[in-house]
Amino acid sequence: MTGGQRKPRSGPGGFVPGGDAGAGQAGSRQRPDELGDLLARVALGDADAYAAVYGRTAGQVLGIALSVVRDPAQSEEVAQEVLLDVWRSASRFDPELGSAAAWVMTMAHRRAVDRVRSEQKAAEREQRVAAAEIAYDEVTEAVEARLDRERVRRCLGSLTELQQESVTLAYYGGYTYRQVAELLGVAVGTVKTRMRDGLIRLRDCLGVDA
Amino acid sequence: MRRRSDVHTLAGAYAMDAVPPSERAAFERHLAGCGECRQEVRGLSEAAASLAAATAVQPSAAFREATLRAAAQTRQLPPADAAPPAPWRALRRQGLGPRGWRPRLGVALAGTVACVLAVVAIVAGISAYGMHSRLDQDQGHDHAVAMVLGAPDAKMMSAPVTTGGTATVVMSHRERALVFTAADLRVLPSSESYELWLMGPAGNKPAGMINVSGSGKMASPMVVAGLSSGDRVGMTVEPAGGSPHPTTPLVVVIALTGA
Repeated sequence: MTGGQRKPRSGPGGFVPGGDAGAGQAGSRQRPDELGDLLARVALGDADAYAAVYGRTAGQVLGIALSVVRDPAQSEEVAQEVLLDVWRSASRFDPELGSAAAWVMTMAHRRAVDRVRSEQKAAEREQRVAAAEIAYDEVTEAVEARLDRERVRRCLGSLTELQQESVTLAYYGGYTYRQVAELLGVAVGTVKTRMRDGLIRLRDCLGVDA
Repeated sequence: MRRRSDVHTLAGAYAMDAVPPSERAAFERHLAGCGECRQEVRGLSEAAASLAAATAVQPSAAFREATLRAAAQTRQLPPADAAPPAPWRALRRQGLGPRGWRPRLGVALAGTVACVLAVVAIVAGISAYGMHSRLDQDQGHDHAVAMVLGAPDAKMMSAPVTTGGTATVVMSHRERALVFTAADLRVLPSSESYELWLMGPAGNKPAGMINVSGSGKMASPMVVAGLSSGDRVGMTVEPAGGSPHPTTPLVVVIALTGA
């Protein structure tokens, strides 16, 4: 970090929304992506850098696996697969395409969703509608992780209830938009719009805030 | 018009992996042709990724240990293409690079370069090529060769030599140096030698006489440093002692491109 640059808020959570991805963020400016720099070193085989990447991302990776997959043992499997893929494919991270945090979390979310959809346990998934609420009591209380969590929670609060519902079912529940429409008894077009508008609001809230 | 707006509204669902596999391909085809859509998806994906912060947990120490241990035993993928991959550009901006010098050749260079490296290593090990009279010169030369070959942006280029054989250059913009080697060169009479040139806008500079190992028609690796963009490296046949300027046509020329 060179002197005079504002240090982006990151820590054990390690998340800087937007990172280097100026595209798509209203009024964004280039911000140093610490996690991206760590990944560049991981790509060179730097084990210390990988341990640092782990420190900043593992909690979120496991958290989203637990949220989507639910079963603790399978969640840990998925999370570990993702974290190993981060090590294995660090050289493939391209900062031009987005932040390092988004790269890791996109990998994590996709892997979790793939796992849960391949299981096709209908009954278990029905239960998850009720459990789509975010369980805050499970969350780590490390200061910066808590700040990240509270910021996201606050920005989620800027969405309408209907938008929150669709976004939550999709992201934390791992449902497709068609499944969400079916669960809520709403038209697919409506769900698509709520998801898109909800994420746009979330993006704008985080973008302004960061 | 209605169909088009339908496609756009998928951006949110797509950013959250909420588009079923059967529809994903069609949407991605659309994305391939719509830069605005790609930009939107990128921004929405960043926002979606931030949602994970709300459900972060504390993994156990056992999980951490198992993960780090497994990583230590896992091979890494090399960069996807031959051009300097993005992490290396980021590294150069930061002035970072491999700590000390440990060649991460498997990571930095594409598979075919491994063959060149094998050639170079073999030739470097043949002390009989006899160019160097002092041990520390040998070590300095080997280190210079290694610095270029081990550079994260090392790039290999080859070209056929018109009089026979193949010349190969491994260059690093970061090191501003290259390693030149050649194989299967036509054996010259003792009155002649191959000479290497560094050719740039300011003219041609001698870059050394190329020493071909007695039997194998293999040229010992030569380091040329102080490269500038637009430089080319070339070879001619000259009288045995070399010339200050090329006196015969180039038998091979390699342009040092890319950045």
